Amino acid sequence: MSRRSLPAILCLALLPCAWGAAPPPLAGPPPIAIAIHGGAGVVEPSKMTPDQEASYRSGLAAALDAGYAILERGGSSLDAVTTAVRMMEDDPQFNAGRGAVLDQDGDAELDAAIMDGQGPKAGAVAAVRHVKNPIDLARMVMEHSPHVLMIGDGAEEFALEQGVILVPRGYFRTPRRIAELEEARQLHNARGGTPGSGTVGAVALDRAGNLAAATSTGGLTNKHRGRVGDSPIIGAGTYANNQSCAVSGTGDGEYFIRQVLAYDICAQVAYKKVPLSQAVYEEIHTKLQAAGGEGGVIAIDPSGQIVMDFNSIGMFRGARDEHGRREIAMYRDR
Amino acid sequence: MHAIAIHGGAGAAPRASLSAEREARYRAGLAAALDAGYAILEQGGTSLDAVTLAVRMLEDDPMFNAGHGAALTREGAAELDAAIMDGRNMRAGAVASVRHVKNPVQLARHVMEKSRHVLLVGPGAEEFALEEGLALVPNSYFRTTERIEQLAFEQRGEHVSDIVPPTRGTVGAVARDAAGNLAAATSTGGMTNKRPGRVGDSPIIGAGTYAKNGVCAVSATGHGEYFIRAVAAHHVCAAVEYRNLALEEAVRELLHEILRKLGGDGGLIAVDQAGRLVMDFSTEGMFRGARDSNGRRDIAIY
Repeated sequence: MSRRSLPAILCLALLPCAWGAAPPPLAGPPPIAIAIHGGAGVVEPSKMTPDQEASYRSGLAAALDAGYAILERGGSSLDAVTTAVRMMEDDPQFNAGRGAVLDQDGDAELDAAIMDGQGPKAGAVAAVRHVKNPIDLARMVMEHSPHVLMIGDGAEEFALEQGVILVPRGYFRTPRRIAELEEARQLHNARGGTPGSGTVGAVALDRAGNLAAATSTGGLTNKHRGRVGDSPIIGAGTYANNQSCAVSGTGDGEYFIRQVLAYDICAQVAYKKVPLSQAVYEEIHTKLQAAGGEGGVIAIDPSGQIVMDFNSIGMFRGARDEHGRREIAMYRDR
Repeated sequence: MHAIAIHGGAGAAPRASLSAEREARYRAGLAAALDAGYAILEQGGTSLDAVTLAVRMLEDDPMFNAGHGAALTREGAAELDAAIMDGRNMRAGAVASVRHVKNPVQLARHVMEKSRHVLLVGPGAEEFALEEGLALVPNSYFRTTERIEQLAFEQRGEHVSDIVPPTRGTVGAVARDAAGNLAAATSTGGMTNKRPGRVGDSPIIGAGTYAKNGVCAVSATGHGEYFIRAVAAHHVCAAVEYRNLALEEAVRELLHEILRKLGGDGGLIAVDQAGRLVMDFSTEGMFRGARDSNGRRDIAIY
């Protein structure tokens, strides 16, 4: 029996009445599943208005359902995570694409990465300032160049060669982020930066059994120009491998880089043979906590098991699979 | 027990095409960096200082593809990447795509020690260098006649931009000091005729550079894109930590099984907590050197 048919059979036996989704056929293809996050730097519960909360939830739901719809039609996990992340990039509430936080110069400087668990293959861009959807450019780096990481002006030159239309820097700036930058400038010196508010990411498993992960961010408010966090670093903020797991992270990027956090989760799954939830727990609540870092991850393994965990106040997140799970949450309990 | 290993890049010129005179120059450059790094360890200095100095000396030596004498982009400019990691506290610093920093490994160390960040890139990294009081140099400082000729040769070839060119002389060092601390550093100009903005594995913590006390320290060289996908340096240490593989076996599996299967070649140097040095490669050669307090002192190319 293949490793993947076991959960399928268990599902048939234990969850025959799961709503909305047909149970997978006996010894059939792997179950589809997707998880997304909109960042671990969430607003404190007491400061979140009902309107804001509803708005965040609908943004997350739209991205989650769009990604899931792709999987449901037999599409690839790569397409699902690309679409989910692109939608959150376009949603100004989240810190990626339009509405990304602003750096010390008042500009958005964007990073993104995507990884295909089959291969594995990867693409990433960092410090781009005129690319509407950095996740699409990261995917072009993966699919249309022999490289993995391209940064700054060179990445934008590549975008133009690929026929991507660049946008002016003003496209990314929103009144909310301008106000946040002003506030940060008064609180911190130029070398500071307020902790992240809302990197976005997605992980998915498709019908063919392929895992994928994608992450996109504007980084830190008032960040030093040229500062790159974990999101575009393969192994730190983004990792996928069909043999072990797919992970997208959000949080204190520097800690994620030092810990090679995303890959370390998958290495624990592959080498220590621990369940994904245990590997994530160890990574976030033991290692990251001990190092003094905050953040969270979404992760998925080849059986479609989704883990979403964080040591911050909350993490905007959503998960959906064909066993009927569909949840959107922000804090520990809601 | 203290030990240091250095590399000057994998994918050395075929044995037949390396003249005796050039071979002697490579060996002299490697020996100088190795012995300078070792001297720091011998005087009771830190592994961090030893790898910084060894890499700086290789950056300053025009024979190697890092700092002065770095490979040139398709536009004829040097674009430099470097990283350093301190296994004691797992702090790390890295810079990518800098064009005016004489010793990128030194700037990487400033990022680690003087900023709250790990990775700074491009003009923002150079702004940070100025804030730190490091003098910038013109890009012409890095360009040597030999690299200009190599670029022209490359550009006369069939492919102009996206092939894997022969120049892969990244430099790096790993060390264990008497206090048991591990450190790793790597610096490179990347591939000859590379597209501006392309970043390889060297400045990526976990890919080209990694150090963790009690486990291992690694500096890699080779086809960077494959090393990034394989999260190569951390992979070696994860195999040691989670599977209790001997360092040598972990390195062998990465280079000769995992990377080979992916289609990438290269090499790496590594040191474990016991001070055991491993230097291995899947290319024809790798410029390298190793020295430890048990009396070992090797310089080798093939």
